[in-house]
Amino acid sequence: MAMDFFQSQDAARRNTGRLVILFILAVIAIMVMIYLLVAVIFLSAGRGESAAPLLHPGLMLGVGGITIAIVGLGSLYKMGQLRAGGGFVAESLGGAPIRPDTTDPVERRLLNVVEEMAIASGTPCPPVYMMQQEKGINAFAAGFSPEDAVIGVTRGCAEQLSRDQLQGVIAHEFSHILNGDMRLNIRLIGILHGILVIGIIGYFILRSSLYTGAAYRRSSKRGGAGAILALGAGLAVIGFVGTFFGNWIKAAVSRQREFLADASAVQFTRSPSGIAGALKRIGGYAHGAKVESPNAPEASHMFFGRAITSGLNSMFATHPPLPVRIKRIEPSWDGEFITTGPAIEREEPGAQVPLAGFAGAPAAAAESPAPPRISAVEQIGRPTRQHIDYAAQLIGQIPEPVINIARESYGARALIYALLLNREAEPRRIQMQQLSEHADVGVYDLTGKLLPAVQQLPQGLRLPLVDLALPALRGLTASQYQAFSENVMVLVEADEKIDLFEWALQRIILRHLEPHFARVKPPVTHYYALGRLGRQCSVLLSTLAYVGHRDRPAAQRAFSLGISRLDVRSTSMLPPESCTVKALDDALDELNRTAPRVKQRIMTACAACISADRQVTVDEAELFRALCDGLSCPMPPLLPGQPLG
Amino acid sequence: MKLAIVILFVVIAIIILSSIGWLIGIFNQLVRLRNRFQNAFAQIEVQLKRRYDLIPNLVEVAKGYIKHERETLEAVISARNQAVSGLKQAAMDPGNAEAIQGLIGAEGALTGAMGRLFAVMEAYPDLKANQNMMQLSEELTSTENKVAFSRQAFNDAVTAYNTYKQSFPAVIFAGTFGHGRDATLLEFEDREAIAEPPKVSFT
Repeated sequence: MAMDFFQSQDAARRNTGRLVILFILAVIAIMVMIYLLVAVIFLSAGRGESAAPLLHPGLMLGVGGITIAIVGLGSLYKMGQLRAGGGFVAESLGGAPIRPDTTDPVERRLLNVVEEMAIASGTPCPPVYMMQQEKGINAFAAGFSPEDAVIGVTRGCAEQLSRDQLQGVIAHEFSHILNGDMRLNIRLIGILHGILVIGIIGYFILRSSLYTGAAYRRSSKRGGAGAILALGAGLAVIGFVGTFFGNWIKAAVSRQREFLADASAVQFTRSPSGIAGALKRIGGYAHGAKVESPNAPEASHMFFGRAITSGLNSMFATHPPLPVRIKRIEPSWDGEFITTGPAIEREEPGAQVPLAGFAGAPAAAAESPAPPRISAVEQIGRPTRQHIDYAAQLIGQIPEPVINIARESYGARALIYALLLNREAEPRRIQMQQLSEHADVGVYDLTGKLLPAVQQLPQGLRLPLVDLALPALRGLTASQYQAFSENVMVLVEADEKIDLFEWALQRIILRHLEPHFARVKPPVTHYYALGRLGRQCSVLLSTLAYVGHRDRPAAQRAFSLGISRLDVRSTSMLPPESCTVKALDDALDELNRTAPRVKQRIMTACAACISADRQVTVDEAELFRALCDGLSCPMPPLLPGQPLG
Repeated sequence: MKLAIVILFVVIAIIILSSIGWLIGIFNQLVRLRNRFQNAFAQIEVQLKRRYDLIPNLVEVAKGYIKHERETLEAVISARNQAVSGLKQAAMDPGNAEAIQGLIGAEGALTGAMGRLFAVMEAYPDLKANQNMMQLSEELTSTENKVAFSRQAFNDAVTAYNTYKQSFPAVIFAGTFGHGRDATLLEFEDREAIAEPPKVSFT
């Protein structure tokens, strides 16, 4: 039943492909209908009954061409709009971004939940938008890929749900992101828009011909005016019929995805009461899940609950009925909805950490978790309850001043600089000198002040801290970001040593920030097998082998272990001089263009290589997580005692 | 012949619809850019408010030591109050040129007054060594850095708005769409630049 991350990515792509085929069939059907309409009106008027004159090649070409042009342009226009990023969609639904350093208790609680989920799933914290005017309880995830995903939440959702229920809803949305649903959603909107345009054009022709017909009745040939009227009416009907069927398809696809997302969310939180509770609250709340924004119907399938109610409920509903959803999650449900909201108090940082933690808590705790046997690679894109609890713990361990600085744009930069500073004194001195020349005075001072705190942080906290700082960094302006990314590169290169973690950190940061400031093309799948990528695999595994193993023979053994998992032509380990940062960068860029299944094998090979000496240091674990991120595979944080692959 | 008319009609319909879509796009972009600089102003507001809150505390501590420079201290307080109301005006409509100019003027006066206060404080080493004073000046500097930072963001957003508004094709429709006036950039003088006493080096 449960597909792993890579299977579901593949499935999502296949479904998108099927959708495109359905769409092409629909356009062909529309072309035929329009042609028949035009032919009947214009070719047979005044002629006999013969069927042959209905087939007019020139007309067919003309109608076919114009139809494709209209539908194509309409779809591309809409998808171009949507490609502008998840934030665009969120704003068009009335959302405003929540500042990462907000102190409003309702917003703070929401952001804390999202932060925990993000760290638990190994993705940077997405921007959160709040639809202030909406009283209904609803949420959505928008964006073309996990990198530019945003989460939107209504005011009602933030205020009316308990923390547990809110966590369930956010988990549901994260499942959409991790399952690759969003690309499908956006294609759906785009396609339907194209078909709708035909109806709009028809309606427009109808209106204008009625208008001109009325005004110039005496001058227009009755036949001509009547023909145009009929054309307009016909196009309108065809367009709206097309939209009718399109919505039907959209609804059916969406209902299935919703059940899937519910199931994933339950797996994620391991607490059916969370998401079931949210659904029950929607049932018991006066405004339900209703979204008032005029753009809601178009995006209705992207929401958590049923955002609009249409008359023909069951056929067009984008979501299964509430009671059915609740029953699937909680078969023993008694039919009662929840009618009261929670009291929201200010959250203390770290307060959400459960008492049965990992830090050697005695077995008196009800459920002291044993080290998980599932490997990290198998949990890519599939975080669990343990990860959420672990994430809350990690966040709680970060000193409050550091977290506060991470959440605002000004200080977040200094924090990143501090994280990039080398642990050894001499390289660090060079870096600080470079920084003093390139960065603002205030930021340089702040970096110096943060350094002791950052150096005392346990190493496993560095990547989660970056995940937390990314939302604030997205708030930089284009020119500020330019200066920031240049400073980051300066720091990485200044110490003249290749620190793999530094490199990984810089890569994660820039990879997640670039799309926000410049149009970056998402990687397109180009390779379905590793045949042509022998050199890249060799670079990757050789570097990993050298990093974790002291002497040449041990490294060679690790390399062989790794390469044996991949079916590439016999490739040998590269000498250390060939494993440069640039080579690694290029290798990862190429490997990022492989199909999900292939990526899974690459990750397994890397895990085998790292674990060859039966010892996974925190450094190696962080490096592994950074590599996963580089291949667009979100890996949850490594739990204590968990095997890598 | 009739067919030609029909095709003409369809093509005209397409052109008209595309134009409407294009116009809507321009309108939305203008609104979006304006929202952006208004949001950016909200960030400055937070930092400026914090700065204005720190100043009375600073003056209180200074009063205990500086007994004879009452005018300087009072000048600071009154400039600060002016700035607070200037900020309130500007916050109501960050696109309004007069309000922004008012804020710039009030901030300039405040920075000048603060500069004179810090110059006076040089003569009171006890005051400078006071724990509270050190902490407050530290916070003040940090807040001013953040003001400069968010001011940069605001100015970038204003520039983006003005540039889009003035270039083709938005320039034709901006007025009719309700975006007649350019937004004003926020230019403050840095306190350090004004108040820094000339460096004297003994070599």
